Amino acid sequence: MEKVLAENGFIIDLSDAKSTTQLVFELSSIMEHPEVKGKNVRLKLGSLDLKQSQLLSIKALIESMEATLAYIDTKSEQTEASAVSLGIIVSEVSEEASVVCSQSDEIKVEPVVVKTEVPDETEEVQGSNEDKTIEVHAEEQTGPIETTDGVEDVYDEESMEELSEIIPAEHFEADFEALAQNEGLIKPEETSKYILLDTGDVLPKDTEENNINTETLPTLYINQTLRSGQTVSYEGNILIIGDAHPGSEIVAGGDITVWGILGGIAHAGNQGNVTSKVRALKLNAIQLRIAGLYARRNDTLNVPYVQKTNEFTPEEAQIEDGKIVIYKKLRRD
Amino acid sequence: MAGRVIVITSGKGGVGKTTTSANIGTALAKAGYKVVLIDTDLGLRNLDLLLGLENRIVYTIVDVIEERCKLKQALVKDKKNPNLSLLAAAQTRDKSAVNAEQLKEICDTLKDENDFVLIDCPAGIEQGFQNAVAGATEAIVVTTPEMSAIRDADRIIGLLEAKEEIKSYKLLLNRVRPSLIKSNDMMSVDDVVEILSCPLIGIIPEDTGIITSTNKGEPIVNDEDALAGKAYRNVAQRILGEEVPFLDLDEPKGFMAKIKNAFAKLKAKV
Repeated sequence: MEKVLAENGFIIDLSDAKSTTQLVFELSSIMEHPEVKGKNVRLKLGSLDLKQSQLLSIKALIESMEATLAYIDTKSEQTEASAVSLGIIVSEVSEEASVVCSQSDEIKVEPVVVKTEVPDETEEVQGSNEDKTIEVHAEEQTGPIETTDGVEDVYDEESMEELSEIIPAEHFEADFEALAQNEGLIKPEETSKYILLDTGDVLPKDTEENNINTETLPTLYINQTLRSGQTVSYEGNILIIGDAHPGSEIVAGGDITVWGILGGIAHAGNQGNVTSKVRALKLNAIQLRIAGLYARRNDTLNVPYVQKTNEFTPEEAQIEDGKIVIYKKLRRD
Repeated sequence: MAGRVIVITSGKGGVGKTTTSANIGTALAKAGYKVVLIDTDLGLRNLDLLLGLENRIVYTIVDVIEERCKLKQALVKDKKNPNLSLLAAAQTRDKSAVNAEQLKEICDTLKDENDFVLIDCPAGIEQGFQNAVAGATEAIVVTTPEMSAIRDADRIIGLLEAKEEIKSYKLLLNRVRPSLIKSNDMMSVDDVVEILSCPLIGIIPEDTGIITSTNKGEPIVNDEDALAGKAYRNVAQRILGEEVPFLDLDEPKGFMAKIKNAFAKLKAKV
């Protein structure tokens, strides 16, 4: 039972709601999301006092969207009493979830946290103020990396034996292991993360001038966040300390490095240098362009925006065999 | 083939020009017509997001004008409907990168190969608006039942009337809330039509589904159940010259009703 909850469940955090009305509004806007359908819902209700009738309405709302209310987490005694009289299980959501996760040996889908601010009634329909974050960990990241608690340790000078302890070997193909031994890289991202665009451009020839070591190029250092509509272009490498928001554009003759989330367009080696690379703490660029190759982000990865955590795995994109390949970097070479 | 060039405009921002463009365009393409959507909101483009095409844009309208690519290369095909394509605006430039003649030229080229060219106009009455209107022969003025939006729509209709090229203009009333009209808190459809004295082409109800559809990059006309989607499909049919009665918005069904019921229950019990 518990395992089913972990694999097929949602935690909805409503502990910020200050009134019952706000809570219902917030919940209803979350429940509208198609992914909630048919799932077990776990509610975090915070310290709000709910009467039996109010809790029943909330339950009805969840069931009207073909989902089931698995259990609730509350700090209020009154809510707890109402829940008990209605036969709803009261439990500590977060602890339960994490315990269940670490116990199960194969985690297919991590619990998904859906958090939504209350939309203001007067807000414009298409307003960008809509503060809605839907984060689906399981689809985006490789499971084992997310669930190990030693992500930070990985940056230390560790032996590869220790590394393979953290990442169970069966999750990776054999040829990858050899690669990891040599280069300290994790498996290339599924090629489906980026799809090459047919722009009619062909990969520049493997000539000498297209093979300049990017280390020899000058570097432009930028210590600010790039916002939508802003462009940076430079003939050498570009280093950005900050995020590059969707709608921004970075064009470099050499490498592009973003110490933050890369969400805009990045064009490395725009003069044709095929050795150029794009790297970022979180590679979420809407388009990746290296030399003459253009790739768009897969539609299935279109998340409204990336939530900031301290658990990013840096990624690096480069050209290999006429394709753009993305590596997750565990430690420096 | 000489297609129709329709500009979708409003004067005021945030009334739903882009949503309307995306939905009417999709509805017309679904009906089997070849449609091109042009985003003329340079620097603040959104139409690509609503259609979920942001990641496919390589060339924009500015690249076409500055001859960095051919017009055909810049047209981005829709994911689902090959009849629909988008000419995106540049995000890193502003309205002065384009002038009215250049846009007119693009419209004239596109209308030879398409049944419909829909132009999504930026807010305001400055150069962006003048550019967008330049190539069009028809206009749809989007407004909401609020005094400020109606005032701006009136100003826009005045400007459109002064343009010889615009042969006809129609009013689209967006974000209508029947319950508020009933309680006399919102102007009724008849009031708005009377104030603006402009023929009506559609009434779109307020629909929370629009927010989700915008975030997902999927126009709401693709949702067969949504009331707003149905209303947009009706608008498309009216553009095609069919007589379609306006939707009866009095009793909203579906999910909104469920929320309202939940509210009513809560209120009764508290």
